[in-house]
Amino acid sequence: MENVSFRTTVLPLSDKLFRLALRITMNKAEAEDVVQDTLLKVWECREEWEQINNLEAFAIATCRNRALDVVKRAGRNTEKLDEMVHFSSRTPHEQMEAHEQISLINRLMDDLPEVQRTIMLLRDIEGKTYQEIAQMLDISETQVKVYLHRARTKIKGWITNI
Amino acid sequence: MDYKYIEQLLERYWECQTSLEEEAILRNFFRQEDVPASLLPYRQFFNEQDEMAEEHLDKDFADKMLRLVGEDAPVHVCKARRLTFVRRLRPFYRAAGLIAILLTIGNAAHQSFTDEDEVAPQMADGIVVDSLQQITIGQPEQQSAELTTQPIDTINTLPR
Repeated sequence: MENVSFRTTVLPLSDKLFRLALRITMNKAEAEDVVQDTLLKVWECREEWEQINNLEAFAIATCRNRALDVVKRAGRNTEKLDEMVHFSSRTPHEQMEAHEQISLINRLMDDLPEVQRTIMLLRDIEGKTYQEIAQMLDISETQVKVYLHRARTKIKGWITNI
Repeated sequence: MDYKYIEQLLERYWECQTSLEEEAILRNFFRQEDVPASLLPYRQFFNEQDEMAEEHLDKDFADKMLRLVGEDAPVHVCKARRLTFVRRLRPFYRAAGLIAILLTIGNAAHQSFTDEDEVAPQMADGIVVDSLQQITIGQPEQQSAELTTQPIDTINTLPR
C-alpha cells in the first residue's frame, strides 16, 4: 500500500460521489463538502483497503452516510428538491424560467423517498448491478429490486399523467 | 417500423426485469429523432438520464483535493515522439548489418583455415622431398630425380 496514489485511485470517484451527494443534500456546496470528507476518509484508511472488497462500494456507502448526516443535522428532510440548488442567486423572474427548465428527471426523482432515489441513481445513471447496489447500501438484492420497482412505477405513473 | 420489441423492453424496464444491456438499448433508442408518438412521453426521461450522468465537479475541486493530500506536485509527463516508418525499422537495419558483418568475418576466417589445410600437404611433400634429397646426396642426378617422382616406399631401395 506504499505506492498507491490518491490521484489515480480515489480522485476518479469524485464525480460519482458528487452526483449521489447532490441527490441527497440537494445543495451543491454541501454535496462538495460531503465528497471532500468522503475522499479524505477513504484516503486516510488506505492501510485497510486490502480488507475492503470493493473500494468504490465503500466510498459510495461512506458518501451516502455523510450526506444523510448533513441533511439530518440541518434539520431538513431529503424528500423534496431544495430549490437552493437551482435558484439561489437568481431573480424571481429568472427563478420562474429556471423552474420550467428543471429537468423532468430531476423533478421526478427528487419527489421520491431518498432510498428509492439513491437506488435509481445508482442503477440508471451509474449503471450498477443489483448486487453492487445491495453491497453499497447494505441491503439485500431483493430489497433493491423492490425499492427500484416502487420508484419506477411512480415515475411511469407521473410520466403518463403529464 | 415495428416498435414491439422496444415496447416490450419498456414494459420490462418498469417491472425491473431488464438487464443493464437492455436498459442501454432503451436509452440508445430514445436518443434517435424518430420516436413514435406512443413512446414520445418517455423520451425526455431517458435522455435526461444521459445528461445527469454528465454532472461533474469543477476542476478546481480536484486541485484542492490534491493539495490537501500533498499530491499537488506536477506529474512528469513523457511526451510520445512520432516515429517515421524508416526510423521504426532502424533496429532491424542495424541487426541485419551486424549479421552481415559477422557472416563476412566468419566466412573470411573459414576461408583462411581452408587455405591452410590445402597448403599443409604441399609443405609436407616439400619437406619429404628435401629430406630425400639430403639422404640421396652422392647419388646420380637422374636416379635422384627418379626417386623424387616415385612413391615414398622406394626408400627401401636406397643404399645403406
